[in-house]
Amino acid sequence: MLSSPRSLAILIIVAAVFVVSILGGALGNALGFGFLASPLLAIQIPAELVTDIGTESFHFSLMNTMVTTWIAMLLLVIIAAKIRGGLSEVPGRFQALFEVLIEFFLKLCESVAGKEKARRFFPLVFTIFLFIVAANWMGILPGFGTIGRIADPVEIAHHHGDHAYVDPGAGDYHGKSKAHGDDHGDDHDSHLGSVKLHVFNNSGGLAILTPGSLSDELTFDDYDAAHGDVGKGKTVGHLVPFLRSANADINVTLAMAIVAMVMVHYWGLSILGAFGHLGKFINFREGPIGFFVGILEIISEIAKVISFTFRLFGNIFAGEVLLMAMGFLLPLIGIIPFMGLELFVGIIQAFIFSMLTLVFASMASISHGGEHH
Amino acid sequence: MEGDIMNIGAGLAIGLGAIGPGIGIGMLASKAMEALGRNPEAGDQIQQNMILAIAFTEAIAIYALVVAIIIKFV
Repeated sequence: MLSSPRSLAILIIVAAVFVVSILGGALGNALGFGFLASPLLAIQIPAELVTDIGTESFHFSLMNTMVTTWIAMLLLVIIAAKIRGGLSEVPGRFQALFEVLIEFFLKLCESVAGKEKARRFFPLVFTIFLFIVAANWMGILPGFGTIGRIADPVEIAHHHGDHAYVDPGAGDYHGKSKAHGDDHGDDHDSHLGSVKLHVFNNSGGLAILTPGSLSDELTFDDYDAAHGDVGKGKTVGHLVPFLRSANADINVTLAMAIVAMVMVHYWGLSILGAFGHLGKFINFREGPIGFFVGILEIISEIAKVISFTFRLFGNIFAGEVLLMAMGFLLPLIGIIPFMGLELFVGIIQAFIFSMLTLVFASMASISHGGEHH
Repeated sequence: MEGDIMNIGAGLAIGLGAIGPGIGIGMLASKAMEALGRNPEAGDQIQQNMILAIAFTEAIAIYALVVAIIIKFV
């Protein structure tokens, strides 16, 4: 490897980048270096608010995952329109790619569900796959989770449950006693006091976590002790990203899981008839054991919804947290191997969600007697 | 004080929760390899069923991870 000067030069450059990123990151911050270190993004499980739209009568809170969902939908609609508008006998590369995908999924549907039912199940299965792949792969693009608006300390305190917090840095502080210590008991005080605030270099509009500001991180207690003074031109708060990976929100995955299971049951009812389908769950034909098996089946249906939701949510949210944590520890190069992992996980989870929908649909449309060979 | 115990709880949740699925996925993959070696023609079928079964097992580890994340961040 050290044979030619070119490979030696590449090795030296990679090693230098590695050393710079270690020294500049969170680990180097303890040694006093951290010039690239920015604080770890304030991670929370629910989606973050981008803006509030509306008047007193009609109020709509726009969340950042909803924005991403719309972008993913728009992307899919644009791709579909483009392919449909440009269909030709001899396919170009774009059309050929989708022909490969469609053929793969159609063959999968036929092998799992049989030829007649494959065409019925195919649209939902393929759409779920496309949407989840688009949403997952979009979520690792640069800009997701890093560009956003700054949430001021009042909003952060409000989010943690302290509704009477007064910001010592805001103009109307003079002379007021610290409101957050009076009304609430010790729990709220200590809980909010230890929440960390990040320091930003700009005051409004688009904001990013400032490199080098890890050592400027202060807790609510420090902020109150300094009477809201953190230096000229700097703002204090949390970064609220404008864009966040769509499936990192339980609502999105829960909605897809509910849609999938509702369609599975609809297909079961329409193919087997009401008595055939419901007869699997309320089963008096095979005696008391059959009855309990039916009850277990009902519980298993609910468990399928929950497992769909949390499997996709856990994979994507954990991947997002992993990327943020690796970006925090090793700023420049830490996330490179994990991007590869996220690409892989994104497509595998999409495939699993759609294939499980297909398998459950096919199982729901086979009559009870057909399972015993 | 509670912060420390909660951190230990989050660590234990994912640590212990990953033991079972880890062993399970290992057993699944090893049996799939064995079956593939015995019958290479059924390779496609074996592969698809293996991926499906691994997804189910992995979901258990993901549940543990979600609990750990909830303990840590909520």
